[in-house]
Amino acid sequence: MKHKFLIAGATAAALALTLSACGSSSSTSGSGGGTIASKLIMGGPPEFKTRVDGLPGLAKNYGVSFGKYTVTDTGGPVTVNALKNGQVDAADLFTTDPSIAANGFVILTDPKANFAAQNILPIINKAKATAGVTSTLNALSAKLDTAGLGALMVKVVTDKQDTDAVAKGWLSDQGLATTGTAASGVKLTIGSANFPENALLAQIYGEALKDQGATIKYKLNIGSREKYVPALKDGTVDLMPEYNGSILQYLDPHASATAPDAVLAALQKVLPSNLIVLNQSSAADSDAIVVTKATAAKYHLTSIADLAKK
Amino acid sequence: MIGQVFSWLTDSAHWTDTPIDTGIATQLLAHIRFSLIAVGIAAAIALPLGLLIGHTRRATFLVAGANALRSLPSVGLLVLLTVLIAPHFYGRTDIGYVIPTEIVLVLLAVPPILSNTYAGVDNVSPAVTDAAKGMGMTERQILFGVELPCSLPLIFSGLRSATLQVIATATIASFVPLGGLGRFIYDGLQQQDYPQMISGGVLVAALAMAADLLLALIQRSVVSRGLSGRFSRAVVVTSTSERTEVEAG
Repeated sequence: MKHKFLIAGATAAALALTLSACGSSSSTSGSGGGTIASKLIMGGPPEFKTRVDGLPGLAKNYGVSFGKYTVTDTGGPVTVNALKNGQVDAADLFTTDPSIAANGFVILTDPKANFAAQNILPIINKAKATAGVTSTLNALSAKLDTAGLGALMVKVVTDKQDTDAVAKGWLSDQGLATTGTAASGVKLTIGSANFPENALLAQIYGEALKDQGATIKYKLNIGSREKYVPALKDGTVDLMPEYNGSILQYLDPHASATAPDAVLAALQKVLPSNLIVLNQSSAADSDAIVVTKATAAKYHLTSIADLAKK
Repeated sequence: MIGQVFSWLTDSAHWTDTPIDTGIATQLLAHIRFSLIAVGIAAAIALPLGLLIGHTRRATFLVAGANALRSLPSVGLLVLLTVLIAPHFYGRTDIGYVIPTEIVLVLLAVPPILSNTYAGVDNVSPAVTDAAKGMGMTERQILFGVELPCSLPLIFSGLRSATLQVIATATIASFVPLGGLGRFIYDGLQQQDYPQMISGGVLVAALAMAADLLLALIQRSVVSRGLSGRFSRAVVVTSTSERTEVEAG
């Protein structure tokens, strides 16, 4: 009987020890030579720790190394909540994420192009790219920017407005909703990838072309590039909104260009023969280091390079 | 691949913490902590409840109801609870992620403990409890002196299966930004670092087996010999030799 109590007691003591050891293990330690980054906790997807444009790229291009890295998710609700509530100080989000505008987060500029450009541009079947279609889409791309697209995504994702109405609203706000005959007689099938931003862009293209007399058929939310690039090649889809960096990576996995113009030049070399890309807009949906307004003000941050300052 | 997993596990750099990566030692402790808290809370709820339901044979629908909890999808529930709970916690705290994780794990651990405790008490032979009653034992004495010891083998089996399930499922804590051994599985998958991913799985399996072994040892020393029928050889040998001596004498 004594034997029994001894074992029970020893087990309880071992458990208590383990628990107390766990309690003290959550302290954080900083390194990085007293830079601003060394005082901050960075949050993002697991692969950001090892990706070429992740932590290794930030260290190589800017000399930035964070005090701690917390794995959250890939630009999703967990990351946004952790940044908003202060579990992390900086996060890897996508530049057009509506939560950036909704929470007043600050996107740090990337002057050394650590993250590959992801400028939005129309990819179109050569046979359908008439002068009128081209000029209509180019005029539209000239007005599209990242902040503007972010604001539209707030309407779609946060306010749950109809994408069709948001697309039309933006066109008339930009003075692009003029009716004309530039694209009359052209029949186009416009596709989109299966996420809200891409579907919205497809509808912006479609509504603008409709105003110019084109006949538009939509195939929205087709899926990933593995599905829609073959559809573009065989002509079942004529026009898609694309991101220059991602489509380049898809067509040429070894591509190393990161600056917008270099990416565009490289992309034009690897496009399938029946496709061309039109002018790229300044709107980009790339990875970005994002901080809260308070953190940006406290450390005077505007660019990723500022994180390496003392 | 086995060689890669072995060298990943034996690389001392993977055991210690850096600002960027948390090592195996810390994650192992975190995993044990999540599991202990969950099993502890679940046992505190399910053991008394199971004893009471088994003894009184009332409210048995609670056992069936708890068993229905087993069908809840853990990951879905975790994400839902995190979205509801995490926004209420500010600053450098992970409590907003710990609470949803523990709720999910407790819901997983309660059914096996509850139903086994109930079944254990329910299955005690009426002849035994009648005898206890006949000896003048009170209801409380019958419950703690007769029914509880008699149902210990089943209670332990419930506790052990709950512990196994919790240790295996605690890996989902890495879906929300928490530690634990699931971190290696989830991160390894995302980083396409398969030796890391498999090592995480191996560590979880090893921890589960170690915990089961520990509980088996406790069970061995706690359960009455009259139930388990395990008598040490010394006792058996002595008694037979004594008997022989008696017979001879």
